[in-house]
Amino acid sequence: MTPFLLYNQQPTQIVAPTSAEAVADVLRDASAQGLAVIPWGGGTRQGMGGPPLRYDLALDMRGLAAVLAYTPDDLVLRVGAGATLGHIQDLLAAHNQWLPWNPPLPDQATIGGLLASGATGSLRMGYGTPRDWTLAMQVALGDGRLVKSGAPVVKNVAGYDTHKLHIGALGTLGVITEVTFKVAPRPAHCQTLLAAFSSPLTILEAMQQIGQPPFQPISLVLLNHSASKANPILHSFLDDTSPHLIMAVRFAGTAGAVGRQIRTAVAVCVEQGAHTIELSETDDGSIWHAIADDLRPTDQLLIRVGAPLSHVREMLRLVESIPYQRGWPTDRYLIAGAGLAYLRWPVVALPDLLQALTELRAGLAGIGGYAVVEDLPVALANTDSPLDLWGPPPETLALMRSLRKVWDPAEILNPGRYLV
Amino acid sequence: MTREMLITTLRHHLGSRYVLHRREELMLYEYDGSAMDQAMPDVVVVPGSTAEVAAAVATATRLGFPIIARGAGTGLAGSTVAERGGMVISLARLNQILQIDPQAATAVVQPGVVNTDLSRAAAAYGLHFAPDPSSQRSCTIGGNAGSNAGGPHCLKYGVTSNHVLAITLVLSDGQVVRVGSAVSDTPGYDLLAAVVGSEGTLGIITELTVRLTRNAEDVRTFLAIFDDMEVAGACVSAIIADGIIPAALEMIEGEGIAAIESWAHAGYPPDARAVLLIEIDGLREDIADEARRIARVCTASGCRELRTASDAAQRERLWAGRKGALAACARIAPHYHILDGTVPRSRLPEILRRSAEIAAHYDLKVVNIFHAGDGNIHPLLLFDLRVPGTRERAMAAGAEILRSCVEVGGTISGEHGIGIEKRAFMPWIYSVEDQSAFADLRNVFDPAGVMNPGKLLPSPTSHSSLHATEPLLRMTGRGAWI
Repeated sequence: MTPFLLYNQQPTQIVAPTSAEAVADVLRDASAQGLAVIPWGGGTRQGMGGPPLRYDLALDMRGLAAVLAYTPDDLVLRVGAGATLGHIQDLLAAHNQWLPWNPPLPDQATIGGLLASGATGSLRMGYGTPRDWTLAMQVALGDGRLVKSGAPVVKNVAGYDTHKLHIGALGTLGVITEVTFKVAPRPAHCQTLLAAFSSPLTILEAMQQIGQPPFQPISLVLLNHSASKANPILHSFLDDTSPHLIMAVRFAGTAGAVGRQIRTAVAVCVEQGAHTIELSETDDGSIWHAIADDLRPTDQLLIRVGAPLSHVREMLRLVESIPYQRGWPTDRYLIAGAGLAYLRWPVVALPDLLQALTELRAGLAGIGGYAVVEDLPVALANTDSPLDLWGPPPETLALMRSLRKVWDPAEILNPGRYLV
Repeated sequence: MTREMLITTLRHHLGSRYVLHRREELMLYEYDGSAMDQAMPDVVVVPGSTAEVAAAVATATRLGFPIIARGAGTGLAGSTVAERGGMVISLARLNQILQIDPQAATAVVQPGVVNTDLSRAAAAYGLHFAPDPSSQRSCTIGGNAGSNAGGPHCLKYGVTSNHVLAITLVLSDGQVVRVGSAVSDTPGYDLLAAVVGSEGTLGIITELTVRLTRNAEDVRTFLAIFDDMEVAGACVSAIIADGIIPAALEMIEGEGIAAIESWAHAGYPPDARAVLLIEIDGLREDIADEARRIARVCTASGCRELRTASDAAQRERLWAGRKGALAACARIAPHYHILDGTVPRSRLPEILRRSAEIAAHYDLKVVNIFHAGDGNIHPLLLFDLRVPGTRERAMAAGAEILRSCVEVGGTISGEHGIGIEKRAFMPWIYSVEDQSAFADLRNVFDPAGVMNPGKLLPSPTSHSSLHATEPLLRMTGRGAWI
């Protein structure tokens, strides 16, 4: 496969800088010449944002992978944006620490790419999102200024928190070159409970109860039948072929606290009519790696849906009924505590997908929710009537555009791929 | 003439009762919590709705007056002082808790709601608002967001920016926009992150959706007593290094201990050189385990005695000493200058030693009362201004201590903000290019340059006038908190 190929477009130049200054130089020159730049990390999330309007230069960031500072006693880590998350987690694990962040494909995905694409994971229920763990950044802005914000200490209010503006901005304001994270001690024990339910009502009731005190789950995910069958670890959990829903819930802490929560959660699941319950071994990491990787790119359409926590049931009804009416098989995942669902829709005729997405957005608008395309397969790109990947813009779009205009005045960064 | 036009137009929009312009009315708004940074605004408005805020802002912008948002005025960096005159917007009347959603653990509040009032209202649902600045009985949620306030329990739960989900913001042209969302990961730039902590320079917050935190199942509070300040500093590092993130980890050292004890009778031994106030919370099995580990680490670190608060009353007594610390220090000297640097936790012993040396060099007393677990130090320089030359010595010592924080890899403000007080120090940590990106952001939100102008970023004018307009020294015991 051709490297840096994006929706069948090839760059005319590939640049692989090894310093932040060199990244800034590349962007300054590209701005002067009007060359469109696509920043690349591991490429695991390049399906977000669809095909670029222009593509001249592939900027390979993996050469900035050095660990710049790590003092385990301070729980602070400064690292080049091109390092993979997996590499960082290995380093932290040697000191019994971690970054409580578990997006898909960590061994391939880079820190910079994951942050720029706003990647999160199931651990956000217990630990929040990377926004909460990012203390500082160095960024090469589109015009070639190399700037930093934040400080390498856990508490800082000097200056604006501009680093957080780059999280989820898909590299359209600048290219992240260096990140400073707060990290956490690893919990002493983790254990996972898997439970299968036949009824959506009872699994939601169980989820509701296990999300409240005295429970403190660090992750709670619901998968539909098809999603659990697609998961290499969960597919053997149930031999039963009748439709069911799976709950995976993870607790962390001392053995005593984890044990009490597991016992109580089992009781809740039994009471709510779970027909199969299984507990993990003491090391449940592989289950959660597999669940995280479920959301990797495939040749199907991946949609992210969000709604207020008070409307999660309505959100689930919508994401279930719209493909069901069309007879589409779909994998569905709910990240509890965040009000987020991920849906995989098959690649069918584009007008049908357009209509279904419009219907989904209309339904979600009624409950204050939204839907974005998290991963657009190549088969659905490069058409005359493309899917609207981002949906209706926020009311602050004018401010966002003005900001992009001052930091990337030549509009060279990922042109045409973001809503701003 | 323009001022009269401003007042007339504002009275038209808000009614004359809520437009204050007489000298004796304005004098109440000359100060913030720092008591000696003072400047008289041209007018103070007290709007009762977002629409009134918008009308007032549009009017002031049109007539070219600076606009300064103000909550309870407990800030310590001069952010709400109208140093160039202009219109102060007091958000005191917007003080309603509009909604608490126990299921989602969120609340919708107006900016003038007092911090503890929200936690008190949420207590019925087993929830609280986690940011807890020591001024929490007075300070407002809007002010907390404007300054990205901290507090002892931010060690475990994060600062204000981690707890604000969405805001209603009035821009300098009077436009009202919704920034952020209670829904996760909505598409678009995270403008909310830039507004929280922007000290009123990007817009005026008129409503907030905030995250509430579930009350812990179990809480335990310890007082660790030390004969040596550096040993206590090392103990802080050792606790964190052991893998414990306490809910709060506070240190009081030096003469402050005796002063607090005689004022608050919190049970601090007056002869101790340093005490740590350690609080852990969580599930009861986890707390039992952490309590054992804390006892082990403290003993191994050379702690003289470890006391445990066995009930809520004892816990409150220990905290009363900490929260009233600043007032208690009035007993040591009549005036103070409070600093707010942050250093990597492992550098705490070093910075404590350094600040003592600097204070001694300038012949000043120094007491440290601070958020040790975060590495957020608050050296409190104490002196008597009636002694000639004291002001200059205190300012020089303060700058030198903050400079030392930067030199060991820290920063110049952990939670109090930059405001007027520290803007001249920004170049120590941010390059010209870094500052240009900050200025870009500010221009995007406020192209007219009217929102709290001169604050937060250094500018040629603010820099040259620094010493003339910024007496950074305060009276002790005047109701300020750290």
